[in-house]
Amino acid sequence: MPSLRHPFDNQRLVGTLFLAPALLYIVLIVGFPFLLAIAFGFSDVTVGNTELNFVGLRNFEAVWDNAIFRQVFETTIRFTLISQVFILLFANILAIIFTQDFTGKWFARFIFILPWATPVSLAMIGWLWMLDTKYSPIDYLLLQTGFLGRGGILSDDRNLFWLASPDLAQISVIFVQVWRMTPLATVILMAGLSSIPTDILDQAEVDGSRFMRTLLLIKLPLILPIMVIALLFSMITMFGDMTVVYVLTRGGPVDYTRVLGLYSFQVGIEGGNLAQGAAISLFAFPLLLAMAIFMLRTASRAEVR
Amino acid sequence: MSLVQIRGLKKHFDTVRAVDGVDLDIDEGEFLVILGPSGCGKTTLMRMIAGLEKPTAGAISIGGADVTALPPRMRGVSMVFQSYALYPHMNVFNNIAFPLRAQRREKKLDKRAIREKVVNTAGALEIDMLLDRRPRQLSGGQRQRVAIARAMVTQPAVLLLDEPLSNLDAKLRANARDELKDFQRSSNITAVFVTHDQIEAMGLGDRIVVMSEGKIQQIGSPQHIYDDPANEFVATFLGSPSMNMLSVDGHRMGFRPEHFLPKTLNDKPDNSRVFHYYVKRVEYLGSDRLIYGYIQGHDHALTLAKVPSNVRAALDVEGDYQFAVHNNDIKYFDKRTGLRIQPVKAH
Repeated sequence: MPSLRHPFDNQRLVGTLFLAPALLYIVLIVGFPFLLAIAFGFSDVTVGNTELNFVGLRNFEAVWDNAIFRQVFETTIRFTLISQVFILLFANILAIIFTQDFTGKWFARFIFILPWATPVSLAMIGWLWMLDTKYSPIDYLLLQTGFLGRGGILSDDRNLFWLASPDLAQISVIFVQVWRMTPLATVILMAGLSSIPTDILDQAEVDGSRFMRTLLLIKLPLILPIMVIALLFSMITMFGDMTVVYVLTRGGPVDYTRVLGLYSFQVGIEGGNLAQGAAISLFAFPLLLAMAIFMLRTASRAEVR
Repeated sequence: MSLVQIRGLKKHFDTVRAVDGVDLDIDEGEFLVILGPSGCGKTTLMRMIAGLEKPTAGAISIGGADVTALPPRMRGVSMVFQSYALYPHMNVFNNIAFPLRAQRREKKLDKRAIREKVVNTAGALEIDMLLDRRPRQLSGGQRQRVAIARAMVTQPAVLLLDEPLSNLDAKLRANARDELKDFQRSSNITAVFVTHDQIEAMGLGDRIVVMSEGKIQQIGSPQHIYDDPANEFVATFLGSPSMNMLSVDGHRMGFRPEHFLPKTLNDKPDNSRVFHYYVKRVEYLGSDRLIYGYIQGHDHALTLAKVPSNVRAALDVEGDYQFAVHNNDIKYFDKRTGLRIQPVKAH
C-alpha cells in the first residue's frame, strides 16, 4: 500500500534532496557569477552605469590591444608554470617521505599541512612581515651572518628589498605560491601513493628492485593520473588567484607581479569598469578549459585499471 | 644437506605470535606445501623466507648461506602473490623482464640476454604470443602464467607461491594445479606453496607442512598426514567431511566418515568396533550418501557416515542400524594435549 510508505522510501525525492545543496551551490556561487561575467563582458556596464547594453567584442578587442594586459597575461602564465614545477617536485618528495614510517610522522604531517589550512589573507600578512623591506627577519639573519651589510656577499646594503626589487619580488611571489600550494598537492599524491597495492611493492622488492627503480618505474607511473589531477587543481587555483599579490605587492614594483586575477579586480572593481574587468577575467576561461580537458584526458588514458 | 634450513623461527606482531618457533628443512627440487587455516602464520612464514618480513628470532639459510639478515634480492628467491601483483602499467614482456633488469648488474645481463631469457621463459609457459599485452587484457589463467614466468625468469633457488590458484574459478583451478605440478617437475625447481585448501595441498605437495597457531603440527606426505595424523588438529583439519570425534573412557577417539559403514559390509567383524547408529538425515551427493546421525551413548555429538552410492543397503531416516569401523581406522588422542596415543582396548 503506497500510502503507508514513508516519504524517504521515495528514491527520487531523497535523491533530489541530497543533490539540492550541491546544485544550489553550483548555480549560485559558480554558475550565476560566470554567466554574469559573460553578460558584463559583452556590455558597457560600469560601476556608475549598471545598464547592460550589448557592445559585441569591443571590450575583448580593447583588452587584447592593451600592452599592460599582454604583459599581465604573460606574467600569469609564467608564474603558474614555474611554480608548478617546484610544487610537483616538492610534493613528490614530501609525499614519499610522509608515506614512510618514522617517529613523529603524524606531527610532521600536521605541521606541514598548516600553510594550506591557514586562510590565505592571514598567511600573506605573515609573509608581508617576513619580506618587509626594512624589518624582514630574513634580512636580519643574513645581516647577522655577514651575507648582508658592508662587505656582505649578497649586497653591501642592509636589506635585499624582497618585494621592492623586480627580480626578487617575482621570486618572492612564486616562492610564497609554492609554499602555499605544495601541501594540497602533497596530500593528493600521498593518497595516490598509499593506494598502490602493497603486493606490487613487495613484488618489486622480491624482484630485486631498489628504491630508485621502484620509485621511477613503479610508483611514479602508477600515481601519474593522480599527479595530473593534483597539477590541475593547483594550476587552476593559481591561475585565478589574486590574494597573494594583492596583499604582498599590489602588482608592483611597476607591473612585475601583476597577474590576471589582480588586474581584472583592479580594472573592474577598483577602476569601476565592470565590463572590461569581466572581459579580462574571461580570457582565462578558454585557456583553463583547454588545459583541464587535455589533462583529464591524459589522466584517464594513463589510468591502468 | 637441505636447500633451505629454518631454525627456531619466530615472528611476533605486538602480542600476536604469528609464527612461534618453526624448524623446517626444504629439500632441493621438492614441492612443499604449507597448509593451515587463515591466521595460522603460513603466509608470515613464507614472507620471512622471501625476506619481506624480519624474524623476531631464529635463522634461515638458503643453499648453506645464512640469509636471515639479507634483503630479498640477495636471497635467490622469487615469489608469486595471490593477486599475481603484475605491474599494471607494463606489458607482459616488461613484467617478465623487470626482475632481470633490476638484477642485470649482479647477473651481468645485456639487453639481448634479457630478451632471450624473457622469450624462452614465456615460451615454456606458452604465453609468448601475449608479450605485448597489458595485464588487464589477460584472463585470470594467463595472468597467473605471467606471474610464474616473471618468478622463474631469474632461475631462483626457491620459488615461493602464496595461494596462487585461489583467484581462479573452480574449473580452471584443477587444470592450473595440474599444469603447475607438471611445470615444477620438468623445471625441477624447489617450490614452497602456501594454501588453506587441503585438496590443493594433497594434490600438489610432495610433502605437506600443517600449521596452526604459528606452529608446525605435522610434516609428511599427503597420505601420511591423512592416514597417520599426529594430533587431533591435523586429524580434523584434513578430510571433508572431517573426522568424527567421540569422547570415550577419558580419551578422544576418531574415525573418518568414509570408514564408518553398515556392519553388513564389514569384512573383518572380529577386528572391528560396532556402534548402534540412529540415522537423523540422509544427503544424497551422487557418488556418496552422507548420513547424519547419533551413536548410542553420544547423543550430543553428531556423527557422520559417508556411504558410497554403490552400497544399496536401505538407510532410512529415523532408523536404527548397526555400523562398524575397522580398529585400524580408529585413531586415539590424548584428551588434554590432543596428541596421538596408542590404541585403547574397548571395554
